[in-house]
Amino acid sequence: MVAAASLLCIAGCTKAASHGRYFGKVSPPAGQELRYISGSEPESLDPHISTGQPEARIFLALYDGLTEIHPLTSVPIPSMAERWESSIGNTEFVFHLRANLRWSDGTPITADDFVWSLRRGLAPALAARAAYMAYDIEYAQAYNEGGVFVKDPKTGRFMADPDSPEHRLVLPGEPKAREKALAAEDLAGARGQQFVPARAEDVGIEAVDARTLRLRLMRPIPFLPGLLTHQFFRPVPRGPIEKYGDAWTRPEHIVTSGAFTLQTWKPYDRLIVVRNPMFWDAARVKLDRITFYPMDDYTTMMNLYKAGDVDAVFNHVPPAAWVDDLRTYQDYMDKPEIAIEYYMYNTTRPPLTDVRVRKALNMAIDKVALARYRRTQKPLTAFTPEGIFPGYPQPAGDPFDPSRAKALLVEAGYTNAAGAYDPSRVPVADLELTYNTADSNKQVAEFVQAQWKQNLGLTISIKNMEWKTFLATRAALDYKGIARSGWIGDYMDPYTFLALFSTVAGDNGTGWFDPKFVDLLVAANREIDPQKRFERLAEAEKMILDVQPVIPLTTQATNWMKKPYVKGMYANPQDLFAWKFAYIEHDPAKWAEDPPPVIN
Amino acid sequence: MLRFVLRRLLTTIPMVLVVVSLTWGLIRIAPGNFYSGERAIPAAIVQNIRAKYGLDKPWYVQYGRMVGNIARGDFGISLKYLGQPVNEILRTSLPVSAILGTLAYVLALVVGILSGTIAATRPNSRVDYASMTAAMVGISVPNFVLGPVLVMVFSLTLFWLPPARWEGFSVNLIMPVLTLSALYMAYIARLTRSGMLEVLRSNYIRTARAKGLSERQVLLRHALRGGLLPVVSFSGPALAYLITGTVVVERVFALPGLGNYFINANLNRDEPLVIGIVAFTSIAILLFNLAVDLLYGLIDPRVRL
Repeated sequence: MVAAASLLCIAGCTKAASHGRYFGKVSPPAGQELRYISGSEPESLDPHISTGQPEARIFLALYDGLTEIHPLTSVPIPSMAERWESSIGNTEFVFHLRANLRWSDGTPITADDFVWSLRRGLAPALAARAAYMAYDIEYAQAYNEGGVFVKDPKTGRFMADPDSPEHRLVLPGEPKAREKALAAEDLAGARGQQFVPARAEDVGIEAVDARTLRLRLMRPIPFLPGLLTHQFFRPVPRGPIEKYGDAWTRPEHIVTSGAFTLQTWKPYDRLIVVRNPMFWDAARVKLDRITFYPMDDYTTMMNLYKAGDVDAVFNHVPPAAWVDDLRTYQDYMDKPEIAIEYYMYNTTRPPLTDVRVRKALNMAIDKVALARYRRTQKPLTAFTPEGIFPGYPQPAGDPFDPSRAKALLVEAGYTNAAGAYDPSRVPVADLELTYNTADSNKQVAEFVQAQWKQNLGLTISIKNMEWKTFLATRAALDYKGIARSGWIGDYMDPYTFLALFSTVAGDNGTGWFDPKFVDLLVAANREIDPQKRFERLAEAEKMILDVQPVIPLTTQATNWMKKPYVKGMYANPQDLFAWKFAYIEHDPAKWAEDPPPVIN
Repeated sequence: MLRFVLRRLLTTIPMVLVVVSLTWGLIRIAPGNFYSGERAIPAAIVQNIRAKYGLDKPWYVQYGRMVGNIARGDFGISLKYLGQPVNEILRTSLPVSAILGTLAYVLALVVGILSGTIAATRPNSRVDYASMTAAMVGISVPNFVLGPVLVMVFSLTLFWLPPARWEGFSVNLIMPVLTLSALYMAYIARLTRSGMLEVLRSNYIRTARAKGLSERQVLLRHALRGGLLPVVSFSGPALAYLITGTVVVERVFALPGLGNYFINANLNRDEPLVIGIVAFTSIAILLFNLAVDLLYGLIDPRVRL
């Protein structure tokens, strides 16, 4: 496969040299039609069910949100909500809906649709994987997890949460787990009281009137409008869902709210959406239809792109080996993305319990060289992606410094009789670098392995693992030493990365957890002034960099391609496109420029 | 003969059951789940999912449900592709694989038998060497190399053929069929050649020639019958494999066939879909083998069922 790919590249170079500025054949489709490769076959077209990027790319055509993603910067812009305001220290938001919102079947969309949708998404019976996205909304977690409130049968009052007195106390619904929770001292008052299950109606979303929606939150979430661009919060139609159940997403039943509506869906073949005349912003929509092609093989995608059979491919499709060549074309899209790659340390096992060892291993890796070697990455020393959050005073992590790394290992006691650094004293048998099977992961692992060997004299073995096995091993902290990881931000805010360490479980994976860190995050989010909030978040990030539970490696680059006649699609940090802005420019004179979007 | 067929059909049932049970067990042993992904899911949500799909029930209940489903010929709903019944996935993707596989096999049979026969009638001639060299290449070059090379030449350099995708019966089929066919073409050519060479040396061919039959009649009526027996026994499993989906070709050419589903179903731990495809494939293999045995009876006068 590799040999074939490089053969193709050779062909690519010669062919393109004769063609000039763009890669492969440039022949725009006849009308306003876009052909886009969207990634793996979508699991489902129900935005409550599917959590992946391949689906998200399609959902942005089918479903609108209160807010939408800015095509250029990925920050939230008004969509179904024309404006909003927050109050009570970012714990309450009021959204004002547009007057002309309709489903694709013509029925009006009101605040009640949003309320019904969110309750459905959180219903335990639906078992939505992304339900946690909404856990910051009042009692959403309690309802989704089947939790109970504690009610005093005499007064009818609910017991307050000792940790957060403005909210009711929530206990596990399952009796055994509840007994355990009740063993805590400050909950003594809850024993013998009445336990009332949390219901859908308790969730903090409320239709004030047909065009006003109020959301109450468990904690201050200043980035809520950004969060709401996620597919989980895009409303789904009550009528068809109640009528057809799981089959509501079939082309013959589906009702959508976005700029487009579903026409054809042939699994593993194509999914065609056509213009939705009922969309509130239909006048702006220029494309008549978009054909999404689901597929898995990246070389095939590039072949289709080069042959001019598709107009754009999703991010990360161009193989790294091609990138040096592709960069010379104007249709190559290269910007930083809201995604990082890093290695986790298992901080619960020696020798990585020692922060000096963690720092030493980090400082011995030349990340600039790594990024250059990887081609589609930018170097990363901090933990949040560099250069995508305007105004965020990002702290710097430790630079590449092999001599300082050695000094740290000396401090940690890995010395010979003379007191000099002795690599043979480092227990490399307890260190192992585990990654999930993929060529690119292997390349990085070998690169890092060579750096440790070269700069510290340590031979650390590397091991690959099948994806699902790897996830299970990592989550259980069953890995020896070091494990690969990556994170794609859910919304445009540094918090989406920092929150990884806000629990000991979940995606943390390192075993490092510090309540002081969590306090810092909470304090930051209470901050009303966005700049002050950013400063607090930067403090929290600094804490991560000081404790070093991870080795930051790289920020992803967007790495995708679009033909010069495709306009209104930009390399934004999320690489998700509000399709209403996209169109086909048939005039070759205008191909060189990418005019900025007009946002209302 | 009828008793033979019935007996064979009856033994199919326990064999399929064994294959399916083993597969079911392997999916259980494999780590991870259809719902596990890059992001950890809160325990309570995992509970919700397990309850929704009945994974919180004891294993024998789940096993019983699976066997019951198969007995009814309904493989259930895919766990990964929510709302899509496995039967429907089989119904839409099988024709794609079947068309592709059948075309490839027919092409392989025609070219393979023809060149094998010609080579056998003129052993050690230039034609023989040429066709056997071509066959050797066909066997040695894997389809994940052949496919991209064809694409490079015909789609990206000459811009004659589309590089991938399914458009029904169209020029899009040419390269996938060729890619898929090459290996089988080569095998069949070699099998035909060696089978024919052996038969042409046998006594009954000498008898036929002695009777004064033309060389053409000897070849077509007598030699070919015996010479093709190895091809027939090769064809059963080969055809079953081909029409139930071929992962590499379907991926390289982005075709919506069963092979694509099968590989992804395994990676996704999509139990009903894996079981459905495994059951279907094993039944197909058993039936094709039965067909081969029956064909033997027709072709070879020494075989009596």
